[in-house]
Amino acid sequence: MAILPKKHDMPVQNAEIRSKNFEEVALGYSAEIAVTEASRCLNCKNSPCVEGCPVNVAIPDFISKIKQKDFEAAYNIISQSSSLPAVCGRVCPQETQCESKCTLGIKFEPVGIGRLERFVADYHNTNFKGEPDLPITNGHRVAVVGSGPSGLACAGDLAKKGYKVTVFEALHLAGGVLVYGIPEFRLPKEIVNKEVETLKKYGVEIQTNIVIGKTINVDELLEDGFEAVFIGSGAGLPRFMGIKGESLKGVYSANEFLTRANLMKAYKSNSQTPVMHAKNVAVIGGGNVAMDAARTALRLGAENVYIIYRRSMEELPARKEEVEHAMEEGVKFEILRNPVEIIGYKNSEDKHDPKNGFVSGLKVIECKLGDPDERGRRKPIEIAGSEYIIDINCVIMSIGTSPNPLIKNTTCGLEVNRNGGIIVEEQTGKTSKKGVFAGGDAVTGAATVILAMGAGKTAAKAIDEYIKAKV
Amino acid sequence: MNDLLCFAAVEFDKDPNVKGQTYWYLCSFADIKEGASVVAPLGRHNGEQVGIVRKIEFADEFSAPYPLAYIKKIKRVLGENSENAPYRIVKKRILNPTVTLMDIYAPLVAKKAEAGQFIILRVGNDGERIPLTVAGCNRSAGTVRIIFQIVGGTTMRLNSLNVGDCLSDFVGPLGCATRTEGLKKVCIVGGGVGCAIVLPIAEKLHKLGCEVHTIVGFRNKDLLILEEEFAACSDKLTIMTDDGSYGRQGVVTAPLKEAIEHGENYDEVIAIGPLIMMKFVVATTKPYGVKTTVSMNPIMIDGTGMCGGCRLTVGGKIKFACVDGPDFDGFEVDFDEAMARSDMYAEFEKHSRDENCNLFKKEVK
Repeated sequence: MAILPKKHDMPVQNAEIRSKNFEEVALGYSAEIAVTEASRCLNCKNSPCVEGCPVNVAIPDFISKIKQKDFEAAYNIISQSSSLPAVCGRVCPQETQCESKCTLGIKFEPVGIGRLERFVADYHNTNFKGEPDLPITNGHRVAVVGSGPSGLACAGDLAKKGYKVTVFEALHLAGGVLVYGIPEFRLPKEIVNKEVETLKKYGVEIQTNIVIGKTINVDELLEDGFEAVFIGSGAGLPRFMGIKGESLKGVYSANEFLTRANLMKAYKSNSQTPVMHAKNVAVIGGGNVAMDAARTALRLGAENVYIIYRRSMEELPARKEEVEHAMEEGVKFEILRNPVEIIGYKNSEDKHDPKNGFVSGLKVIECKLGDPDERGRRKPIEIAGSEYIIDINCVIMSIGTSPNPLIKNTTCGLEVNRNGGIIVEEQTGKTSKKGVFAGGDAVTGAATVILAMGAGKTAAKAIDEYIKAKV
Repeated sequence: MNDLLCFAAVEFDKDPNVKGQTYWYLCSFADIKEGASVVAPLGRHNGEQVGIVRKIEFADEFSAPYPLAYIKKIKRVLGENSENAPYRIVKKRILNPTVTLMDIYAPLVAKKAEAGQFIILRVGNDGERIPLTVAGCNRSAGTVRIIFQIVGGTTMRLNSLNVGDCLSDFVGPLGCATRTEGLKKVCIVGGGVGCAIVLPIAEKLHKLGCEVHTIVGFRNKDLLILEEEFAACSDKLTIMTDDGSYGRQGVVTAPLKEAIEHGENYDEVIAIGPLIMMKFVVATTKPYGVKTTVSMNPIMIDGTGMCGGCRLTVGGKIKFACVDGPDFDGFEVDFDEAMARSDMYAEFEKHSRDENCNLFKKEVK
């Protein structure tokens, strides 16, 4: 049988309909499509895709199980390496990881590995009714700080090895960025809940409403009998640009906007938490978070949503699929533009005009690309005199975060770099403090779900070795 | 035999003032047993508290252990194990028609909370997260005191709960504690419900041997709260009301200015109250260069530095009230901006308040 040159398209909700609802955009492969897509895999000898995966999922193995229609076996193979297959199948940037290494991709389109992973995980979640094989507990206690991707991955791996793991979460729900950041239409919260429930079945205890560094300190955890602590506390404080007007009403950080919409369900009419339903929205930045914010704003009823990005489409850091989805839904890309000022409404005749102090416009300046900087990205250069004002009621700043000082400030002997990220030994996640490991955005600054998961798994392995060596 | 009444002796072991003593109550729950947790009014304020039944007696009206004319009644019997339910309300006291005090069972928070810090709570599973400054805590009983004004939908829902009910979430202590080291003489200024927050700071300073002068202001006599508590920890207490119905008439800045001009050499003025009050306190102290600390309570979601919703401009820089505050140098705070930002959701709040009002009206019917 000749090889199909293209991977099977992902069935999606119609762009016009989906831009008005919060239901999941991508609908997932059917079993038939999955089996035919799996048959595109060459099962090549050196399987470069596995190298491309930060957690080294045995990709060809699970794909061959799909070919044989043994989907449950495929799931078991994935879950040996990944704690959150249904999440990763949805939010991983496969095009720059496993799929970029696919041998088939040299001549044709690579195998749709991410889509197959998602199919397998969803199949398992719908059809598997049994109980997982529980490990025998070894009596050692490990604390995990943060229930985001790195924390959950670390907790999952350790629990499967028999450790008694307690996860501490500052918010009222477990999942970290998976529940407060990534929107429902990209990652349904039900899926996150299911993954969390699975971990609980393995004996992981999750304590919400506990802020490590405030309610309890890392040192106290160690004194309290936890033999090791993993810090996966996430990225932290949102950055602002420092331009005029950033304190006007209607200026959000992407974190705040998304937290209101996702975690607090502000998009539902009965929510107790308000969020602005603006007509014209500008999202500053070009990452995945910016795409999430823009598409959320659209679903909240905005007529015009602009992505304001200072470089060109080529440098846009967001996943290609997210950018395409955003474009299909009607998000407008104002590239090579940099905001210089946010303009507020001011009725000088009526001090009590309720519109006073709200955003009314965004002044941007045109940019062109200069020479590449030290990271190889071309530097944007502002073109003098090219400023103009866009009609805007809401500005969402999505230009990254700086690390949260809470844990650093309250943990003796924990070293951080000059950006505030926790310093770790890359192969193990070991910090400068004995028994304390770290990973994810708390170490690297804002990155992806799968990299955080990878770091969590690395640390889990190192923690296992550390505790075994102690005994 | 028909006329025998049930009396229960109750010990309030969570309250250090009355621990070890028992009080007789009339009990209309005939199946009550010794050891049961009950909710009953205590003290002359009749604040509802949880206690344990130590003894049960059946007697007629003439041999009652306490005169029937004066005896109080047990309000509710709590189920087994409910005593340690997380975030349970163990005490509720109405301070005035718009301000309520509650003690919440949250031992981890109580263990660490210091004056000046805050907590975030949620009422109901679809509730919003709101920050409230800690108004005190009892480390041995594991309770945290909150005092709140009923201003919006969430505080209205909160106020509808009673002793024995549980909050959905209660997290803290968040923010930094008020700095008290080295202070020898301080003027505490509180306005309205802000008095509830400034009280633990005054108490802490008093305990540390600092001379505490307190000025508290209310709109009128009916809204006055915590007078006795302030009197107990202040070397000098001035009460102001806008309409002169109690204490002196006028705003808090008047006696403050007099005191400073009179030569009171304050190391620091600590002011907590409505933004507009704090703004004017700062305007009063600034010409004299008296260091002034204010506590900011902006709109917040996570309270850990993640969302940036609580940002303020302090000294020309963006600061997050949740991690950098809530206390700031009053001279540096941009109050006008903070006031503008605080009413961002005014429309929504109004709507939510009206909706909740209707909801509670229906329940009452």
